[in-house]
Amino acid sequence: MPQRGNLTLHLVVIVGFLTLCPVLMLLLGSFMEGFGEFNGLTVQKYVTAYTDPGLQEMFVNTLIFTLGSATVATTLALFLAYMNTRTNIPFKFAFKVISIVPMMIPHILFCVSWALLLNPSNGILNKLFMDLFGLENAPFNIYSLWGMIMVEGLLDLPIAYLILAPAMQSFDVSLEESSKVCGATNWKTLFRITLPVLRPAILAAIILVIVRSLASFAAPSVLGIPGRIYVLPTHIYRMISTGFSADYGQAAAIGMSALAASIVLIYLYRYLTSESSRYVTISGRGFKPSVIDLKQYKYPLFTLVGVLSFVLIVLPIIVLLYASFLPYIMVPSLKAFSMMSLQNWNEVLSDPISLLSLKNSLMLGIGGATLGVMLSILVAYVIVKVRTKLSGVLESLSFLSFSFPGIVVGVGFMWFFVQTPLYGTIWALLIGYIATYLPYGIRPMSSAFVQIHASLEESSRVSGAGAFTTMKRIVVPLLIPGIVSGWILMATMFVRELTLSVVLSRPGSEVLAVQILRFSEDGLWGQLSALGIIMIVISSTLVVVVTWIGNHFSGMNVKG
Amino acid sequence: MQISIRGLTKIYQTEGKTFRALDDVNLTIDANTIFTLLGPSGCGKTTLLRSIVGLENPDSGEIRIGDEIVFSSEKNIYLPPEKRGLGMVFQTYAIWPHMDVFNNVAYPLQNQNVSKEEIKKRVAETLALVQLGGYENRPATKLSGGQQQRVALARALVAKPKVILFDEPLSNLDAKLREETRKELRAFLSELGITAIYVTHDRIEALALSDVIAVMRSGKIIEKGDPHKIYFRPDSQFVADFIGRANLLAGTIGTCEGEFALVETAIGKIKAMNPKAFPVNTKVVVCVRPEFIRLSSLRDERENNLFKGIMQHLVFIGEAYEADIKIGDTLLTTTVSPTKSIQEGDEIAIAFDAQHAFIVSE
Repeated sequence: MPQRGNLTLHLVVIVGFLTLCPVLMLLLGSFMEGFGEFNGLTVQKYVTAYTDPGLQEMFVNTLIFTLGSATVATTLALFLAYMNTRTNIPFKFAFKVISIVPMMIPHILFCVSWALLLNPSNGILNKLFMDLFGLENAPFNIYSLWGMIMVEGLLDLPIAYLILAPAMQSFDVSLEESSKVCGATNWKTLFRITLPVLRPAILAAIILVIVRSLASFAAPSVLGIPGRIYVLPTHIYRMISTGFSADYGQAAAIGMSALAASIVLIYLYRYLTSESSRYVTISGRGFKPSVIDLKQYKYPLFTLVGVLSFVLIVLPIIVLLYASFLPYIMVPSLKAFSMMSLQNWNEVLSDPISLLSLKNSLMLGIGGATLGVMLSILVAYVIVKVRTKLSGVLESLSFLSFSFPGIVVGVGFMWFFVQTPLYGTIWALLIGYIATYLPYGIRPMSSAFVQIHASLEESSRVSGAGAFTTMKRIVVPLLIPGIVSGWILMATMFVRELTLSVVLSRPGSEVLAVQILRFSEDGLWGQLSALGIIMIVISSTLVVVVTWIGNHFSGMNVKG
Repeated sequence: MQISIRGLTKIYQTEGKTFRALDDVNLTIDANTIFTLLGPSGCGKTTLLRSIVGLENPDSGEIRIGDEIVFSSEKNIYLPPEKRGLGMVFQTYAIWPHMDVFNNVAYPLQNQNVSKEEIKKRVAETLALVQLGGYENRPATKLSGGQQQRVALARALVAKPKVILFDEPLSNLDAKLREETRKELRAFLSELGITAIYVTHDRIEALALSDVIAVMRSGKIIEKGDPHKIYFRPDSQFVADFIGRANLLAGTIGTCEGEFALVETAIGKIKAMNPKAFPVNTKVVVCVRPEFIRLSSLRDERENNLFKGIMQHLVFIGEAYEADIKIGDTLLTTTVSPTKSIQEGDEIAIAFDAQHAFIVSE
């Protein structure tokens, strides 16, 4: 095809703009006097931002928060992955649920539900413990660094699990067996063979969780701000959200640190994942590995897994549903149930801003995911099938934005949009979303393209099918799963997007997550919960409907 | 060290079906022999090996290594692999990728109370023994397949185990290297004078390496003997067929003459060895290896077993022709020297000595 080179060039320009524009604007903006006007370079913003007396504490908090979350998430994920792949623990399907379903629950709602349970003034569990044991004070305070770490750790658990589980699955069991034959006990084998061999995967999981928690906004804003514990994203947020004295220059100056840290970490991650392939040993036809018999610990350990999945999936939804019917938060009791009403729901459904945010989020989710997937298909096609120098540039560009913290991208885009009529519109959000989440669309698409080996198309042509028939009967059906999963991933991410939106959203372009954050800041828990439940229903419906359509469509093609 | 196995049974439950991986296995392995478990995949040979080493916990039976009972379902004894003091070479070598050659080989000694200097000395000795002297500091994953295999061997030997076990260790090497390694391994093990148990599905490997071969099928040991016995005088049709190329002719014993018998088959009467002394009228199978069938002149009346047929196929394989000869409706396979001037469709006669035909059970 003669226009292939052109296509690559166009994509490089588009993706290059989406990826580099916020970075360059951030850099430029950090040297500017005022917001929106590009005149006179100054380093004043850096000086002010980095001489802030509270800065050291903020950096220490950030360090503890990210390392703590990474430890919690990776430890739990290691335990779950080991139980699932290597032992005879019952009900293994539970593990798949744990690894997928939490992604459907928006992070901000997860954080809110823990605030409802464990906040120091009227947290449901706190009240319950105080009643039960006659305590004077609330035993737990979720508005603390440990509270943030625990919640963020649980939020990032699925990501760590998705890295560790395949690594353990492909682990050559004879490495452990030979250690035992050589006289090492189970424990010694675990610490001298199993964990060291898995080290690259474990480190990769830790680093990815650090990157995620460094970019995370939900837990730091919902749980950290009430307790006056600031980390990088909330520190930046504080600079731009304080109404009349918003300082986008300082925000950009601090943002440069977050950006630099993320880029370094993501390159470390890439290095480690390529390193782990170095550890691949000769694998034989493989004797089916004997699973470790947990014996009497089987059910106690499963109970632990059960509690974990309850805490991860069921509890947040129940708490939100419960709170959405109550005028204020209270411990479940007869009195509480007698006070239940639909008042919060009525209020939310007649609140013009909530309805607008609902409409905006839906449009952004459906429209944004469709545009995003279309762009992803083209980019993935060029990366996988057109192997030129330019497509290599495209690959690096499209991977780069994976590491950018949303709030930093938001601040960078802000410096750009303020020059354009897009400022404060839903289009600004659309462009920002696609720019930030493009890697999530490209990944499933490129693995779909990798599967379509040239010989599949060629053998269709040899079998007498024309180019069109080949496209219809071979290429498209093979792409469908990638398109579907890419679309779902993007749509659910867009419907719940928070980090980028808190920067870009303005009156008129409110979205669901931002509206929920406002409710949480105002303590309107009932309305928040009602809107939250609506949000969960929307993302779950999207997943179900699109999966059904995808199955139906590819099924037709296989038969036809 | 002698190994004796009594009534060993291992049952797997998969999807509601029971599968007997080991079915009442009784076996004695003499000290200082190279003992091979041979059989098709799924016959239970690997399960048996893994039961001996302790990686598999059988359902019933008893395993003794020397005087020590390492497994007994009756006495409720199960010694874990780390307590059995054996050495094993895995099919995938199982070289630990995060360690260098030294630490891989030193590992078994590090699990015992051996001083650092002693470990250093013994690792160096063992590496020299497998011709990897001076490779101590190489990262294990930077070695070639053959070198990794020798690291695995060194690791299995370094703690001077009572028995060394091999699970198809040559199957990941390419054909040429496999032949060389086979020879080296045979010489090496005979010299060490160690008891070795070797699992393979490759008949040539088994014949070339072993002092004793045990052929397994469906979880049972069906025949045991030295390589000559297994190849030239197997008891059953399955073993005769599995251990080498064979022409198998079903028939009934007509008359017995000492160690010979005359068998009525589809191609006519065959005079063959009758080592199991089957009586008259028994349904048996006559086995003739292709290398013993030769072309003969049609009039040579002195031949014991002389048959007329037609040359059906000739396939040139370099050192010889592979020939299919049609006698009646039966096809016999043999090899013919490429210098013979024979063509497909020619009428020919074949002959083989009665000593080289033998009777096996159906």
